[in-house]
Amino acid sequence: MSGIAQKLASKQKQVAISEFFEKNKHFLGFDSPVRSLITAVKEAVDNALDACEEARILPSIKVKVTKIDAKKDIIELVVEDNGPGIPQKSIEKVFGQLLFGSRFHAIRQSRGQQGIGITGVVMYSQLTTGKPTHVKSKIATESTAAVVDIGLDTRKNKATKSNSGREIWDLEDGEMKKHGLEVTTRLKAKYQKGRQSVWQYLRMTSIVNPHAEITFTDPDGEVHHWPRVTERLPGKVESIKPHPHGIELGQLQRMLSESTDSRLSVFLRTNFSGVSTRAAKELCAAAELDVKIKPKQMSPDQVRALLEAFQGERMFNGKPVKLLNPPTNCLSPIEEMLIKKGLSKTIDSRYAATMTRAPNVSQGNPYQVEVGLIFGGNMVSDKPVEVLRFANRVPLMYQQGGCLLTKAIESVDWRQYGLDQAGGKGVPKGPAAILVHLASTNVQFTSEAKEALADNGEVLEEVRKAMLEMGRGLRKHLEKKKKMAKTKEKFELINDILPAIAKKSAQILDKPLPSLAGSITKIMSAVICEGSTEWNSESKAVDVSIKIYNYTARARAYTILATWPEKSGGKMTNNQYGGRKEATGVWAWKLDTLQPGENITITYSLDGLEKGDWTETDVFYRGSQEIIGAMKMDEKYLEEIRNQEKILNELNSPSQIDDFENMEDEIEDVEPKPEPAIKPPSGQSTLFGGEQ
Amino acid sequence: MMAGIMSAEETKLAMKSVVSEMYEKIVKGEPPTMTLPVRTKNNIGFDRKLGVYKYGKNKSIRDATSLGSAKQLLRALYIIEFIEDMIDSGKSSTLREMYYISESWGLGKFGSQNESNNLAEDLEIVTKCLREDFKLRPEEDGARIIGNLTLQERNRRGEWMRINARDDVGDSGYGVPYNVEMEKIEFLEHDINFLMAIETGGMFDRLVENGFDEDYKCGLLHLKGQPARSTRRIIKRMSEEWDLPVVVFLDGDPWSFRIFASIAYGAIKTAHISEYLATPSATYLGITSDDILAYDLPSDDLSKKDIEALNAELSDPRFADSWWQDQINMMLELGKKAEQQSLAKYGLDFVTDTYLPEKLAELGLA
Repeated sequence: MSGIAQKLASKQKQVAISEFFEKNKHFLGFDSPVRSLITAVKEAVDNALDACEEARILPSIKVKVTKIDAKKDIIELVVEDNGPGIPQKSIEKVFGQLLFGSRFHAIRQSRGQQGIGITGVVMYSQLTTGKPTHVKSKIATESTAAVVDIGLDTRKNKATKSNSGREIWDLEDGEMKKHGLEVTTRLKAKYQKGRQSVWQYLRMTSIVNPHAEITFTDPDGEVHHWPRVTERLPGKVESIKPHPHGIELGQLQRMLSESTDSRLSVFLRTNFSGVSTRAAKELCAAAELDVKIKPKQMSPDQVRALLEAFQGERMFNGKPVKLLNPPTNCLSPIEEMLIKKGLSKTIDSRYAATMTRAPNVSQGNPYQVEVGLIFGGNMVSDKPVEVLRFANRVPLMYQQGGCLLTKAIESVDWRQYGLDQAGGKGVPKGPAAILVHLASTNVQFTSEAKEALADNGEVLEEVRKAMLEMGRGLRKHLEKKKKMAKTKEKFELINDILPAIAKKSAQILDKPLPSLAGSITKIMSAVICEGSTEWNSESKAVDVSIKIYNYTARARAYTILATWPEKSGGKMTNNQYGGRKEATGVWAWKLDTLQPGENITITYSLDGLEKGDWTETDVFYRGSQEIIGAMKMDEKYLEEIRNQEKILNELNSPSQIDDFENMEDEIEDVEPKPEPAIKPPSGQSTLFGGEQ
Repeated sequence: MMAGIMSAEETKLAMKSVVSEMYEKIVKGEPPTMTLPVRTKNNIGFDRKLGVYKYGKNKSIRDATSLGSAKQLLRALYIIEFIEDMIDSGKSSTLREMYYISESWGLGKFGSQNESNNLAEDLEIVTKCLREDFKLRPEEDGARIIGNLTLQERNRRGEWMRINARDDVGDSGYGVPYNVEMEKIEFLEHDINFLMAIETGGMFDRLVENGFDEDYKCGLLHLKGQPARSTRRIIKRMSEEWDLPVVVFLDGDPWSFRIFASIAYGAIKTAHISEYLATPSATYLGITSDDILAYDLPSDDLSKKDIEALNAELSDPRFADSWWQDQINMMLELGKKAEQQSLAKYGLDFVTDTYLPEKLAELGLA
């Protein structure tokens, strides 16, 4: 991104902005009137969400699209938020200067990795309608709002402002607006409905921003409202330093040349993540460089040697230098429970499953995969499922076919999980929607348009694994539904019909009522599980009951296992039957032997959840005789849970934290210096494409 | 009252044995059951003594191990209780009335009338009773008859009413009631040589208009498609009591073959009472497969379902004789079927002036 800034700022010959725009409009997102509108909404809404997140405010965003001149495709767009607002003196910079702001200099997960920013919208409006963009901003400490029209001087590449002043910002209900920003702009654009529309963009945004409330008024005056489903703001993301595995020559050269460190070992330790004192020394040894060499004075050959040591091509003691993974607290996943809520509020369905994989690292870049699958309800069953792709919480709406995330979905044979898929290839068909979210400090796209993620084997495998898990869940759900219907029938048979037959026949024959026990055992001839998961509005907890009936002629012994949302904060209480934790989110009870005709009930409650968070408990069993209404424990499933557990434990292990603390200690003897402006690791697409 | 074949006590006893089977199974710790004959063409066989087709020995057991079957058993119990009540109080009801009465049977309620009809039939078969014994009436559309024959029918006031089916009736003929047993209808006298059963109303009216019954001294009977039990019963009684030949004049298609089989040999659904309903001496007059060729009749192509039906008939024991096998195979070869009324190709009088005289002559009836 900073490439644009540098190019524009350091231009030797003056290039008109209009020319720049014309040349680059396809990847700036302004190549068609339809897309231009979506891009404009996207820039404004992303800014609002980012501002609210930074100020720790729960966002309420209003978007209004009005047709001004249908013949000439002139549209007015108004986006209003309840963010902190922008101080009057900064408005011009934010709206008039490319790449103003801090996010372009830090390596962390941010929405702003994509697009050119709100300045692009101001430029596009100016170029297509000749009209400046009207900005109204109020910050909490001032009583009135600042208003100003921002335009662009296309020859000087500078913002122009006019009609600036202050006014009182009244809301519809008569109250004064406390703080917020409203952007009004007119641009050449076309409003369109469907899968690639402002509506779809906002709908998708709402799914991955469950903490936001979004209201959209379309050109027909219809109001679409996506409510807030959680009061929890996304976690604050931390900036991290680049990791040696994710760096390229040009960037390394620049970092070295800008360094004021006197020793290479110190430079390595303090400018990279994952490099301990030991590793710094080993890297120098592998590169056959003196630890005392001054970074600024390194020759091109030496830089190349260092890079080769980074990449493990030059070894230390016959092995690549072992580096710690970069910390992953720079990532902000949405989290399973919130994705589920976001999906459920947006799309009507019967089944929803979501999964947040443990964070991982690919080529020095931390990333994390989240997926969701919803099924049933009002979704059409004869069309391909809806694929909802996101990168760092930003919806990807174009180039679905070429995207890594789509390829991962297509790599799964969905037929075995209950969806249609011609030849086991391509996007499956059925009443379902699949969500994939990739959170990363460095999202790699296939092109500058930034709509499709570039191929990466590790990420693909990670998404694929999550998809398989979703598939297994769906199949289990469908099987369970079928079995539950069957079980329900059996219970109706023995609880209602059989007693009625006994009663009526005894009555007609004038004989005593016979005992039903024997008949029931013969009819059921199975072990049956009846489970219920109910929200208890009095105790504000989820009550779970699992009842096992032995309707067979033999005694049975089982271990019963059940899932509970441990990762989402669910706590088990009133668990009278005891048992023990088997793995994250899986509890196990070893049952006493069940004699023929006996039953056992396990009950417990789950605290720390909200209504709707947990509506279905999966019950598994270990034992030889099938239990109708429960699933045989798939030990592979447990293994997968334990693997994820292990990864998480390693990430949070004290040894790593110690290492970082030690590092801080060592740093103290180093002379203070300004934070280097680190470019994102290369390999990332930049506006001008591979400038290094 | 309708007549059945069993006394009230016999009927009750037979029904109690059905209840006992269920009750005793529960006492033994087994799922309750109801045992009934398999009702498919594979389980009907020719009864030499009776000269009709009856159910064979294959039994199917309906047991209460699935919800559907268990509900059937419970419903059967409700029906039995209901029938007992009717027998005791001297009432009767239609099958449709019973279907509505089941509304108050809670878990024993029927899902559709078809369900209640089938279950009543099941009970007939298991108990070997007739539905008349159960005091259940059908709502079948009975046949109509025209011809010089006289019978008396007991009316609602209990008086015998003498009716000549030529002189005392209008163009629609004498309507056959659902009960045609002795206490309701008595045959008095006739001046006819044979009885002709006709499939379609159009053909029946054509023969009446052309005065065929008088010209050929016969009784004409309109079957109204698949004939009701009472229609088949009255044909049998006339055939036996008046010793009349019976000829059957139907369309020329697989479904007509079936209608004939139900009249002459007994229907699969009612094979338990074939000896009361079937007329083994009945003859198939036409339209035969040969007729389609011989008279060059306008015809339609056989549909997929027609072909399936013909193939099923080939393995049906009732069509096992060589004449039927030839007819069925010929129709399959032709791939054609023809309606009775296709004879109108040669004019309105062709059927009465040419076709029927020729066919009857073959049988020595004209």
